[in-house]
Amino acid sequence: RGFTAAGVLAAHKITASSPDTDLPTVSGLRKMGVNFTVSNKDTVKSSDVLFLAVKPPIIPFILEEVGPDIEARHIVVSCAAGVTISSIEKKLSTFCPTPKVIRCMTNTPVIVREGATVYATGTHADVEDGKLLEQLMASVGFCTEVEEDLIDAVTGLSGSGPAYAFTALDALADGGVKMGLPRRLAVRLGAQALLGAAKMLLESEQHPGQLKDNVCSPGGATIHALHFLESGGFRSLLINAVEASCIRTRELQHLADQEKISPAAIKKTLLDKVKLESPSLSVESASKVSLFTNKSKKN
Amino acid sequence: GAWPRGAMEASELWVGFVGAGRMAGGLVRGLLQAGKVPASNVLASAPSNKNLDAWRELGCRTTHCNLEVVQRSTLVFLATKPHILPGVLEEIRPAVGAHHIVVSLVAGVTIQTLQRLLPPWTKVLRIMPNLPCVVQAGAMVFSRGSNAGDEEAALLQSLLSSCGLCEEVPESYIDIHTGLSGSGVAYVYLFAEALAEGAVKMGMPGALASRIAAQTLLGAAKMLLETGEHPAKLRGDVCTPGGTTIYALHQLEKGALRATVMDAVEAATNRACDMAKD
Repeated sequence: RGFTAAGVLAAHKITASSPDTDLPTVSGLRKMGVNFTVSNKDTVKSSDVLFLAVKPPIIPFILEEVGPDIEARHIVVSCAAGVTISSIEKKLSTFCPTPKVIRCMTNTPVIVREGATVYATGTHADVEDGKLLEQLMASVGFCTEVEEDLIDAVTGLSGSGPAYAFTALDALADGGVKMGLPRRLAVRLGAQALLGAAKMLLESEQHPGQLKDNVCSPGGATIHALHFLESGGFRSLLINAVEASCIRTRELQHLADQEKISPAAIKKTLLDKVKLESPSLSVESASKVSLFTNKSKKN
Repeated sequence: GAWPRGAMEASELWVGFVGAGRMAGGLVRGLLQAGKVPASNVLASAPSNKNLDAWRELGCRTTHCNLEVVQRSTLVFLATKPHILPGVLEEIRPAVGAHHIVVSLVAGVTIQTLQRLLPPWTKVLRIMPNLPCVVQAGAMVFSRGSNAGDEEAALLQSLLSSCGLCEEVPESYIDIHTGLSGSGVAYVYLFAEALAEGAVKMGMPGALASRIAAQTLLGAAKMLLETGEHPAKLRGDVCTPGGTTIYALHQLEKGALRATVMDAVEAATNRACDMAKD
């Protein structure tokens, strides 16, 4: 949606595949004029840049499936949280000697062209390949290259970030409603306040602490409110959130490396089922990821 | 009698202190260290010799008579305990003249009260210092009463800059200054102690830890004052990604340190206001 809105890519030049044709996103894509198929292989064959947008545990199986069709020209872009470049290259190298792999982490506001995207290039991806991706992703927001080992942290911050913002906005709106505002107006004003603040920060040389001070007149309303936020440990909650998301991403990576989903479950091709049976329910250690391992192992 | 204007020169100034406690002692040490006033020009009064011995050691003159201090000084600092002040003012009132500059250090006593208890022509100023005036690193704010003019304010500022930061403010800021900096010094001592304790827990000897803690605070404060940068920016400069500092700061944020400190400043300020009302 972002690419077509930005005009960098015509819908008919985009192919998407999914086993489940009943997903609401599928009909949305079709309406946009995107070519839709149930065959992953067809998608690969008709693309130069291939975005892998499946859930992380599925990636290894997808790579096995489409591996034979990957050619030197393909740029394989994985958006899967926690899936490393080396794991993808390893899987693909059995089919293609020098697969071009780029790992990418973006976020949902690409829909409104205000995404935050980072990418890391793999062993065989050229500078131009990275730049091509950057050009594409920059059309839908901010995009920059990073070292791969930072991607988990990016996930924690800007990957999950919109969810933190939505939560904050919901609560801010509640505050507004409590103090007498109609809900719609409260939501609108809250969102605009955050949008405006973010814009000020991005366009300013100043530190956010300084910008905060600029809003706080002595003894005024804002500083009183901020004191409440501080008392509640607002800052530490946000730090905790970014940390938790980053750590969870690493766990998912670890689980993906274990490849604990049974091929049978994949073949049933219902992502819901996979979600239910996903080892993500149990996170303490690899040995506890038990659903598909030897039953004699203790949990 | 009236003094010629030339006598406003600090070096020719006769400075008196009614009350010779810790705060007054801090101020006079600062003044003397900076060479603003010769010790022999300083006269201090106190009921007992307990504090006065230290003043004599500095070279100051001492007395037990408050009236004498007023009679022999131009610049008179009032440094008694709050509940004693009204009685003292009544005592010295007869000797207070138009040439006098009366500066009150007394916590919680407003300019309004001072002016009420002194002759109507009196030049009154109110100052709130803090303890590090003793080492010439104090933070002081002062306000002027109705008859105190630019000259008196300038004199006070010039004299007391020798003790640290000295700024004129509206009187309403004085209680806030108490909460921030008067009492604030104690918050810093607490923080220094805790820092050192952390280090001791991790295996460093206490004396060394304490010296380093103090130097850390000194250094950080110096950078703040000299760079003029926002503390948040300086904090960010110290935090390398994934490094030790950000881990530690996270702990501080978890403990809601910021809010606690704000609470402390608020509590002390409110207490100062309440005490002033008593």
